Amino acid sequence: MFLLRCLVAAAAVTGSSFAQQAQTPAGDAPVKVVVVKGLSGVKDNTGGTLAIGDGSMHFAHEGIKSDLATRSIEDVVTGDDSQRVIRGTAGTLSWFAPYGAGRFLALFRTKLDTVTIKYRDADGGLHGAIFTMPVGQAAVIKKDLLAQGAQTTVPEGEAKSAATTPDSKEKQ
Amino acid sequence: MKGLRMVSREGLCVGVMLLWCVGAGAQEKPKPVKIKASAVEVDMIHSDEIKLPAEFQVSMYEDLIRQLEKKGGFAHVYREGDRNAANAPDLVILRSSVTGFKEGSQRKREVTTVAGETEIKIHCVFSDKDGKTLLEADVTGKVRFFGGNLRATYDFAKATTKIAHDNFSAST
Repeated sequence: MFLLRCLVAAAAVTGSSFAQQAQTPAGDAPVKVVVVKGLSGVKDNTGGTLAIGDGSMHFAHEGIKSDLATRSIEDVVTGDDSQRVIRGTAGTLSWFAPYGAGRFLALFRTKLDTVTIKYRDADGGLHGAIFTMPVGQAAVIKKDLLAQGAQTTVPEGEAKSAATTPDSKEKQ
Repeated sequence: MKGLRMVSREGLCVGVMLLWCVGAGAQEKPKPVKIKASAVEVDMIHSDEIKLPAEFQVSMYEDLIRQLEKKGGFAHVYREGDRNAANAPDLVILRSSVTGFKEGSQRKREVTTVAGETEIKIHCVFSDKDGKTLLEADVTGKVRFFGGNLRATYDFAKATTKIAHDNFSAST
């Protein structure tokens, strides 16, 4: 019984700390993101930090740095997604686990926020880039980008409905 | 007995020759005449009637450009709005509009194998600078078993690039 109470208490503390982390505004502090695709000079699915300030959006990953003028951003749209808790090599290997354990593990997923941007290069060519980040950060990034001169086709109030598609309930 | 053996041998020879002729005939199907196009300009994917999440729209556009650069057979691939495209000879403009979209679920696919398919149907129009339609095609991008929902955009890009490669040539 004591053990059970301890577990419940630990779960409550962990849950509240996660909630606090999710709601903490990013401000000018770099946010951990993954570039899914589209950012010039950055490979797909590269993890790094994103900072917004001085009229530009800076992405950094080890030696790779990518700067983008926020004025060149024509559209910022937020959304949500999810990913497997156990992924990568371990996730692939889990498919070979006996008794359908791989399928069982596929049930466990974490939620993510997404930010999709459209921007123009120096020649006027249109580009698109998709980022994923921890829950709660997308709205902050969008707000920062808009404050720095980026534009959006989806105002803040409509952001929720824009991310919602007819089949979005099935998304995960 | 000897005569019978001769007849069967001749029959075999005739059969082999017939098969060879049929095979050669099948191989000599007239190849479609390729349209001369040294460059292609890819427009952003439109989805006026179907509500398509921004990440799918951008992912399709980026995957399409990447695939056309790799395997499209064009000397240049321009993005929408690129000023350099105006000077390109034999420029083809690719416009794609979404006609159907079903967002599935990666979780369902991984757990059940048979459910949760993501499918995107797109109508592609290749036209010249004056707006004259050169080629139209309906393309479907799907993800049935493995991978995230955005993998459907890669499937679409590959199929569209194959159509472009089969019908356009930079040298003809």
